[in-house]
Amino acid sequence: MKQDYFSANNIKYIDYKDVEIDYKDVEILKRFLNPNGKIISHKKTGVTLKNQRQLTSAIKHARFLGLLPFIVK
Amino acid sequence: MQEVENDALNQENKKDNRVYELGYLLVPTIKEEDVPASYGNLKELVSSFGGEIIMDEIPKMINLAYSMQKVASNARKKFGTAYFGWTKFVMNGDQVLELKKHLDLDPNFIRFLILKTVKENTIATKRFVRGETYHKPKSKNLENETVVPINKEEIDKEIDALIAV
Repeated sequence: MKQDYFSANNIKYIDYKDVEIDYKDVEILKRFLNPNGKIISHKKTGVTLKNQRQLTSAIKHARFLGLLPFIVK
Repeated sequence: MQEVENDALNQENKKDNRVYELGYLLVPTIKEEDVPASYGNLKELVSSFGGEIIMDEIPKMINLAYSMQKVASNARKKFGTAYFGWTKFVMNGDQVLELKKHLDLDPNFIRFLILKTVKENTIATKRFVRGETYHKPKSKNLENETVVPINKEEIDKEIDALIAV
């Protein structure tokens, strides 16, 4: 079984060049946050390094627009 | 000759054209009825800068994950909710900077984010959760097969043969 959530679920937009994971897919992004709202490291998520980088920036964009929290108290 | 030069210029301009996405938060003080109006204004604004809108979504009221502040006319305002919307458009790189400057001054926006993206839809479509996938029953084969009448004696014999082994 593939460890990478994105390739395992055939999420296609990763294949396009220069495209990052969409910051509006909050439900997907939430899977990669721990209960405090921190981004889970790629060691634990099993996502490929390339996708992890895109995931990180997508989460940060979503945080900026108030779709995801910076911190959960 | 001039036409050729103009064509070359146009092509250069087209090269600079990229797909951008503008995500934005509108202030919640706008009435629900007025949201489509401000959404229409934004569309007009984008087209006035030579943008070609590809995809968009009407602003929807959302609860913000944390409270945001904005200083407007020397007064600091706090927001817990906002209208979140986005548009995708093709635009020249220089025009986008102009658009950004314009939006910075707009009092209706709490925040906005301009990103480079692609024409295709980047939102992942809802997928089936593993285990819930539905397989079509093979009804066609059943129709073609003729039901063989069960012969009890033959079955008994077969069972006996199996036991004997």
